Amino acid sequence: MDLSQLVQNTVCGGLAAAGFGVLFNVGFRGLTWCAASGALALALRTIALDGGWSMEAASFVAALAVGVAVQLVPSRFPVSRTALHVVGCVPMIPGAFAAKAILGLFAISAQHPVTNETFIASMDNALRVTLIVGALGAGVAIPSLLRVQNDSR
Amino acid sequence: MPKPAMIRRCESLDAIAILALEFGRLLMEAGSSARHVEEITTQVAIGLGAEHVHLQVNYTSLAVTICAGPDAVTRMRRVGPMGVNETLHRALSDAATRILQGGLTLTEARAELTHLRQNSPSHSGWYVAVSVGVACAAFGRLLGADSAGVAPILFASALGQMVRRQLAQHHINVFVSATAVAFLGSALCGLGARWAGSQTLATDIIAPMLLLVPGVPAFNAEYDILEGHPTIGGSRAIWVIVMVVFMTVGVWLAQGLLGVRP
Repeated sequence: MDLSQLVQNTVCGGLAAAGFGVLFNVGFRGLTWCAASGALALALRTIALDGGWSMEAASFVAALAVGVAVQLVPSRFPVSRTALHVVGCVPMIPGAFAAKAILGLFAISAQHPVTNETFIASMDNALRVTLIVGALGAGVAIPSLLRVQNDSR
Repeated sequence: MPKPAMIRRCESLDAIAILALEFGRLLMEAGSSARHVEEITTQVAIGLGAEHVHLQVNYTSLAVTICAGPDAVTRMRRVGPMGVNETLHRALSDAATRILQGGLTLTEARAELTHLRQNSPSHSGWYVAVSVGVACAAFGRLLGADSAGVAPILFASALGQMVRRQLAQHHINVFVSATAVAFLGSALCGLGARWAGSQTLATDIIAPMLLLVPGVPAFNAEYDILEGHPTIGGSRAIWVIVMVVFMTVGVWLAQGLLGVRP
């Protein structure tokens, strides 16, 4: 395990989550918790990736951990559970993959004939975006759905 | 759940429906999921004396039917552009809890809502811009940008956020704004990173556009579908896809200007 990589990703995850917390108008008292949520997510994803897991599986586990941790937060907390979910997982949203997938499609439309390399790279990015977003959403939603079901009983 | 006082029965169902819908509208515009909108709107209506509440959540409108005894009323409300405002979301949730617990009359609830709408605190533009810059710089490092690329990403993202805020204040279409901000951020970042000697230019110019990634709508879309609201979830998902396409066009234009290969 590359410890410096783990520390860097954890810090960057915390900074990105806190920054988006400000953008989402989270109060000052809640920003530390936003940073903690992002740091937890990125630390777990880095450890999972280092363990040889795929990006999709690592993202799912990290999102699930954030989802479970957020459910343990009391309802009277400086920031809502939903906001903690989202800012924790925002640093894992594959925005760059999405952009690369669409840029790849633009490149394909400009190529005559189309090369397999460009096409496959674009499709690979598009597929990764779909699977990672699905993994993140499912990871944070499962604990929340279980709690709602439990509360309604 | 505590029973509201019987005296509230005499409150006008119509006024209750209008107030409940106003709570719902503000929640939608603050970035709440359909389930939260439904829960909180129902709390408000029940707390003010309704016996049954049926809410329909659509992308651009809300419709509610509330019943008390033999009487029922249906009202509809248009919803404005969706944003994200966690502070307002929490304040509305807290107010709805107080209403449900019988702490506020209809008049007091209306005054509370007006107060929240007019006095909800928000961070200053400069603070948000710098925070977004730091967040995008952190994103850049996570994507593999080298250290020479970090400062250009930070400054370009902060400037992009300030321009985005100005465009929003002038009611520029959100998709056109996304393309303009992505182009500006990517082009400035590309120029700065090239001057700073960054070796990861292709990654650097993508990072400033990440401030535009619609994370909350993307998660809400998935939540809504999973929680039994596929119509609004599907609408949100399409909005997210179109937004990503428009912001990518901005990056594509910047790539063309700078001659950067993806």
